[in-house]
Amino acid sequence: MDLFFAQLPQQLINGLTLGAVYALIALGYSMVYGILQLLNFAHGDVYMVGAFIGYGVTVALIPESGPITSSALILALMLLAAMLGCGLLGVAIEQFAYRPLRNSPRIAPLISALGVSFFIQNAVQLTLTAQYRTYPTDQLIAPSMGFELGPARLSATRALVIVVAILLMVALQYLVRRTSLGRAMRAVAIDREAAAMMGVNIDRVIVATFFIGSALAGAAGVLTGVVFTRIWHFMGFNAGLKGFTSAVIGGIGNVPGAMLGGFLLGIIESFAVGYISSTYKDVIAFVALVIVLLVRPRGLLGARIAQKV
Amino acid sequence: MALLELTNVSKHFGGLQVINDLSMSVEPGEIVSLIGPNGAGKTTLLNLITGLYRPDSGDIALDGQSLVGKTPHEITCLGIARTFQSLRLFLNMSVIDNVMSAAFPRSQANLPQIVLRTPGFRREEARIRQMAEEKLAFFGERLVGYRFDQPAYSLSYANRRRLEIARAMMTQPKLLLLDEPAAGMNPNESLEITELIGKLRDEAGYTILFIEHDMSVVGGISDRVIALDHGEKIAEGTFDQVATDEHVIEAYLGRKNHSL
Amino acid sequence: MSQSKIGTDEWVRQYQKRRGKPAGMAGVVQRVWLLLPTWAWLALLVAAGLLFPLTTDNTYIIRVGGTIALMATLGLGLNVVVGYAGLLDLGYVAFYGIGGYAYAYLSSEFTTVHWPTWLSLIVITVLAALFGLLLGSPSLRLIGDYLAIVTLGFGQIFVQLTTSLTRVNLPGIEKPLNLTGGPNGIVNLDPVHLFGFSAQSVKDYYYVLFIVLIVVLVVVYHLNYSRIGRAWRALREDELAAETMGMPTRRLKLMAFAIGAAIAGLSGALFAAWQGAVFPSNFDITLLITLYAIIVLGGLGSLPGVLIASVIMIAVPELLRDVRFAGLLFYAGAVLTLYATLKPRWQILPLLALLALFGLIVTFLVMAATPGASALLSPPGSPVGIWIPLPANSSDAGNLAFFASIVMVLFVTRVKKHRWRFIALIPTLYLLAFAWETRMSQEPSITRLMFVGVLLVVLMIYRPNGLLGQRRVEVV
Repeated sequence: MDLFFAQLPQQLINGLTLGAVYALIALGYSMVYGILQLLNFAHGDVYMVGAFIGYGVTVALIPESGPITSSALILALMLLAAMLGCGLLGVAIEQFAYRPLRNSPRIAPLISALGVSFFIQNAVQLTLTAQYRTYPTDQLIAPSMGFELGPARLSATRALVIVVAILLMVALQYLVRRTSLGRAMRAVAIDREAAAMMGVNIDRVIVATFFIGSALAGAAGVLTGVVFTRIWHFMGFNAGLKGFTSAVIGGIGNVPGAMLGGFLLGIIESFAVGYISSTYKDVIAFVALVIVLLVRPRGLLGARIAQKV
Repeated sequence: MALLELTNVSKHFGGLQVINDLSMSVEPGEIVSLIGPNGAGKTTLLNLITGLYRPDSGDIALDGQSLVGKTPHEITCLGIARTFQSLRLFLNMSVIDNVMSAAFPRSQANLPQIVLRTPGFRREEARIRQMAEEKLAFFGERLVGYRFDQPAYSLSYANRRRLEIARAMMTQPKLLLLDEPAAGMNPNESLEITELIGKLRDEAGYTILFIEHDMSVVGGISDRVIALDHGEKIAEGTFDQVATDEHVIEAYLGRKNHSL
Repeated sequence: MSQSKIGTDEWVRQYQKRRGKPAGMAGVVQRVWLLLPTWAWLALLVAAGLLFPLTTDNTYIIRVGGTIALMATLGLGLNVVVGYAGLLDLGYVAFYGIGGYAYAYLSSEFTTVHWPTWLSLIVITVLAALFGLLLGSPSLRLIGDYLAIVTLGFGQIFVQLTTSLTRVNLPGIEKPLNLTGGPNGIVNLDPVHLFGFSAQSVKDYYYVLFIVLIVVLVVVYHLNYSRIGRAWRALREDELAAETMGMPTRRLKLMAFAIGAAIAGLSGALFAAWQGAVFPSNFDITLLITLYAIIVLGGLGSLPGVLIASVIMIAVPELLRDVRFAGLLFYAGAVLTLYATLKPRWQILPLLALLALFGLIVTFLVMAATPGASALLSPPGSPVGIWIPLPANSSDAGNLAFFASIVMVLFVTRVKKHRWRFIALIPTLYLLAFAWETRMSQEPSITRLMFVGVLLVVLMIYRPNGLLGQRRVEVV
């Protein structure tokens, strides 16, 4: 038991870091599902593309001799490039693979999403090969930087990830709660037709949702690269599953729910890795998903949806 | 003993009390109609009887056997069938398949018999087919012959309503619940429906409880009328009695000298 | 039939006379189909399948035939779950894997258990069905999309567990157990011994797989045309109405799930025996997507569709292994697509001419601008000859061209004005050809998978009912 408590702070830190990434991915899933009732399987692959875009920036700005400018600037550029690139990618996917299927039965966009996901994975593998790439995080943030919090160590990298994620989430909350676009998004999520009749431009709202959700996934990709350093073309699949699990745990279609679910799953998984074994971490996450769906299918913060017969 | 007995049934959704302490019964062989303004809870009542919703309190019994807590398909097996206010046909299936599918609760072929196509299976399939054809023939020439194999989405609105009733008949119910069978029909078609409901009781022996807004149908065939408003029974009796009941008039038309 | 009765349209009465056959391709197929009764077609299929290995001595071709039979069986099983009952099961391959690994446990040196094949197969089929029930029970309470994710997770977990359960500590046993052989799998599995017949060669296994395919086909066909099949279709149409008409929807869904799993399990066992080994990589997401492509291409719910689509999805990539042939097919396919979508059709000729001109100009410019120009020409014998310059290190340029061509293709589909589209097509096609020559043809397996992904999207948008599916009316 002593061992449990001794490791607890470190596991919590690890969990929050992982959870921050999961939360960002979950937000994209949740928002899109809330508006279109569509499981965007390609979302995980957008995240992967974001990681690669960030990597590309490091390749451009960090030659053999070292970073050509300040770390903060490079990191900012990585984030911006990935968010912009992924946002556009998400919009493109919506335009070409989902929009034509807006009035088709539910299974059609799901299968289309599978196809898109598969295509992106293999396109990246074709052009960039299946080799792992490694983020040069050490060159940007000295490994020695960090804070000592009792028995645990919060490295600067982890702190950065958590802070950036939280800032993005706060920005998103502001957008959803305080701006007219956010209001429109919430309206469309509740009743698309009624919102259209109230003068909301549905197409624009959907495009904006995809852009924002995908941009967040792109940010998550860069942050993953920064803290876990290894990226490869297949990383989106697992991360996408985890992201969706987080969204469901928190209550799908619900922005604070996605954040809560992400952090929770990150902590659960870190605990599993730290206390049980890293082999079973995915199994435990999956079991968590099944339990939540059985016991409280609407998620922790989700609202029950009534259906008129 | 009454065929269908509702005792102090209540149901609420969130803060809204949809059915409030309702008691009613239907005797075997009766034709009872359920009327009331929109939102009175009529369809909800049907949903409660057929098991789509569960009553918060009270009991619903068929031939003395309680239905509360049973799944819809169990209740159908016990002998209640219904049609829907907004048609719910199996549109991409053929007309005959729509009807034959409803034979499920009354057929027995199990997996080995099906896989091996035993003579027992073939006999039952032929029986189901014949029964389906009979049920469709109940409606005259409209749904028979070449119509059998046409997809249900090719039928006209009135024929779709008839098909739904034929499908419900296939489950061999004791009690048939019809939700606005004359909705969307012109006066001639409504007359046909009125005769049809009578025919369903007289020739096929069903007890019928139906919801209707069209008073010509209600008055034309009902033995008894029950009026609902805001989830409560406000009148019960023959059509003439209910039609002139002041509570009913008030529910539909508002009160005279209503101060603003 | 005398005068029109109330409620009967005159138009409707005339329907019998005016009932037309479906037009175009589907009409041709239907007319051919109606020439023979169903059992005759089945007999033809059986005859063709049995005679097939006698037509060639090439074991490679027979192996492809065996793979087709296996994939078709799997497709039939998945069709029951997705096409009949409408359940989106994305973890189907896990049942295939369970069958494979179960066979490895029951019939190999791994556990030193060597059950006779007939017993193994029966037990495995039942076991897989039980696993189907186990996974289905909690999952079926979930709305369609959640079911997809949970089953996807399950499939992923299966691969993870088979890869990592190599050192399991069970209470009471000292040494950690190697349960699954990890990424190296389990090898040296017993071959199939049935009724005195012992499968040794590829041809033997082909017969085994083909016979199983026929059996499964007949079983599924019988299921479809029975009260259960009708109930499944009703369930897929409108679950609530089906439940109200006395069909136990939950039980029916579980049955579909279990039957699909049983078919997958049986196939998995046979696959394991054939390959002589099982590895976690046999049961990955690529196989799942391929299976979905098969059932979607064939048309959800269509049995002959599954068979034809299996042939297409397995045989065509094999044909494409020869790079030159693949290139030919790629260009032919591009030209055909252009021909089908370009209106007016004759404009394809000037388009190709301009394209050739464009290519020559580009090559000329590139050669003029770079020293050591002669090294740029593609190797002699290549069909594109002087049309496309191939730099020595073409990967990066090829990658860029690949991305550019995707953007251009998407852009072209949006351009409305015909003239601009025509003009934009030229660099688009050129970039595509360049990307093909430099990158896509170099990695045929990955390119093939990319095309499968694109196929799924295009099918859903333009022909969601696949090749042989029925036209469906959906209430959204």
